[in-house]
Amino acid sequence: MSYTLRGRLESRLAAVTIPFLAACVIALVIKAWWPVELAGAMLGAGLALDLVVYHRSLPYQPGWAAVPLGVLELCVTMGIVLLLGIDAPLRPALWFFVGSWLVAQVLAHAAFPLARLTYAEDGGELGLAGKGLFLVAPCAVLVVLGTAAATQPPTIVLEPGIHAGPLVLDHSQKLLGEPGAVVRGGIVITADDVVVRDIAVEGGEYGIEIEGAENVLLDHVAVSGASMDGIHARRSSVTIRDCSVRMEGEYTQGIDIGFAFDLPSSRVSECTVTGGREGIVSHMAHVDFRENHVSDTTMRGIAVTEMSMGEVTRNDVENALGIGVYCGDYSHCEIADNWIRTIRPDLASGDRLRHGLAVLSHFYAKARIDNNGVVDSPGGIRAAVGATIEVR
Amino acid sequence: MDRSCAIVGGGLASFVVYVTLRHGGIEPGEIAVFDTDPDPVSAWRPRAEAIRQRRMRSESDGHCYPRSFPGLAPREALRRRSPAPLVQTVCNRYRPTVPEFLQHVEELRDGSGWDESFSRRRVGRVKAAERGFEIDDAGSFRHVLLAPGHPGLSVPDELGADPRTVHAYEPHHYEDRVAVVGAGMAAATEWLNALAAGAEVVSVRRREPSRRPLNVPRPLFSKAGLAAFQASENEDRVALLARLGEPSYPPGREWDEPLEQARREGRFRVAESVDGEAQVICATGFRRGFAHDPLLRGLVAEHGLATEGRWIVLARDGTIPALTDDVRTIALAGAPAQWTYPAADTLVGMKYIARRFLRRVKACRTP
Repeated sequence: MSYTLRGRLESRLAAVTIPFLAACVIALVIKAWWPVELAGAMLGAGLALDLVVYHRSLPYQPGWAAVPLGVLELCVTMGIVLLLGIDAPLRPALWFFVGSWLVAQVLAHAAFPLARLTYAEDGGELGLAGKGLFLVAPCAVLVVLGTAAATQPPTIVLEPGIHAGPLVLDHSQKLLGEPGAVVRGGIVITADDVVVRDIAVEGGEYGIEIEGAENVLLDHVAVSGASMDGIHARRSSVTIRDCSVRMEGEYTQGIDIGFAFDLPSSRVSECTVTGGREGIVSHMAHVDFRENHVSDTTMRGIAVTEMSMGEVTRNDVENALGIGVYCGDYSHCEIADNWIRTIRPDLASGDRLRHGLAVLSHFYAKARIDNNGVVDSPGGIRAAVGATIEVR
Repeated sequence: MDRSCAIVGGGLASFVVYVTLRHGGIEPGEIAVFDTDPDPVSAWRPRAEAIRQRRMRSESDGHCYPRSFPGLAPREALRRRSPAPLVQTVCNRYRPTVPEFLQHVEELRDGSGWDESFSRRRVGRVKAAERGFEIDDAGSFRHVLLAPGHPGLSVPDELGADPRTVHAYEPHHYEDRVAVVGAGMAAATEWLNALAAGAEVVSVRRREPSRRPLNVPRPLFSKAGLAAFQASENEDRVALLARLGEPSYPPGREWDEPLEQARREGRFRVAESVDGEAQVICATGFRRGFAHDPLLRGLVAEHGLATEGRWIVLARDGTIPALTDDVRTIALAGAPAQWTYPAADTLVGMKYIARRFLRRVKACRTP
């Protein structure tokens, strides 16, 4: 088809209507803005390419060109997503893009020609409906932006220096720290949709405690000196990334996520956890532990236990006493691509299942392991007390 | 006023217009179609048979349905339960066979009411009247579409009286040595036909044919390319139409390989003139221009219509400006409408005119 510029823009706006509405619905359901932001990025990429590239370089666009142009638009959209820091999960975002692309193809090749006799010969123009789109589209964008602005949680910035805790975050908000911002005495989160970013937390019983909250993001936080857990989440769904947790004391734990089996999965990624009895542990929760560095623990480096379901991938566990990675108590675990090094036998415990095991599947747990690197861990990989290990 | 619309001519262009009017809600009783043969492919079919045409040159939109979608490709895909026609169509490679196209026309004709609207009559005169047009003594009509078809086969003067001469669009067999005059789609088809029949072929041509998939470049099929064409000066438009009328046929191995093989075997060569060949096939198309058509010639003479070269000057919607106003319409379809739409003699071009004619009819229907 040979599009006119107006035809390209009108067809683009019309084709994005369905994905845009779908994005609004999805956003409402999952209580996240990324679907709408992604739809906006797709539309922005498409309109920019229409104006700058397609109109000038494609006087005629054969049907098959939809595929390479779709790939190009995907790349540009991903660029916009990265540039604007849109927090869209990759796989759902890709599916959303593919679905939107398919909808656009069906509309352009079937629905628009069905609805408008002269669609093809008018170069993709949609007549009065198309003109209406030019009016409606900015209004829709304004409504969405206005809604976004009105519903965005407030942002609180902590200045550099010591701030007395515990800070209680009991409503949706963003707590951002400037370089050098330290909370002494812990942070307690009891509300959904909370972001804590770039903050150091010292002391407290729990460094950061999350209780009954969903969609919580801890980004680039540093926790130290807590007397029990560095980060402690109960009945919550939390994403923790790029954190540092340093634990001292005999009965402390780095990160503990528990009792959230019926809630969306929690994720801990790219964190460095040092010391404590357990480095990262889950109890009865869906978890995804990936690309973390865990060291110097005295009980287990990473543990997925008490009927949890968890993925433990691409982590680096070293210098742990007794057990490196543990899957226990009816849990189901995927343990893949981890480096597990220098797991020392806990001879003092008298427990043979703590004799320097890199991976232990215990008490009716089911572990599937794949491509893990094990070094200097005399206990190797074991299953015990009704548990199984499937090597893939 | 008798009926709302009259269509003069009963060929494919008229049929496409008729089907489009019906799609737009115009009842068979509101439309009169005038021609001598009720079969809309009665002129086209023998020509296709004469050149042994197997597939349509047109692509996915080469059908008579009023809507672009679904065309023949999706229907064939459903019928064959194969995605191949759809894949071919997105690659501009879908060309339905001639029998499929003829069947499609037949089916559409049966369900359209065409025969109900058809009147067997050769129209000799169309005359502007108050709020409409009088067509011979058949009555007056508010909206008239003239699709008289091609005004006869074109044969070079020097070959007209030669007993060896046959036009490509007339039934013929192949002698052992055949000269094919012309270099367009029909000529290329005849080269392959004659070679396949075992003949030695001499291609007589004045210029090298261009190789393009369709009659005209693709942008000229839609608004993006048409805007510049329709805004051009009359002389420029005449020149462009002349260039577009030069011979062409599609690129592709299916054409090149048999010709190259025959060339190597000494069975195919190019010459500037006919020599001592036993048969001369004139693949030289049709006579061109309104002056060759008595109905159009009379219309121009009687109403003093503006012309340019061999064309009647038309508006962007295919209507004749001097005779079209708020209450009446007269438009051309098929080859004479190339002034408006360079590919007006294709099915897509016929639909272009038809949709605009429908728009005018609906804007001003007979009460």
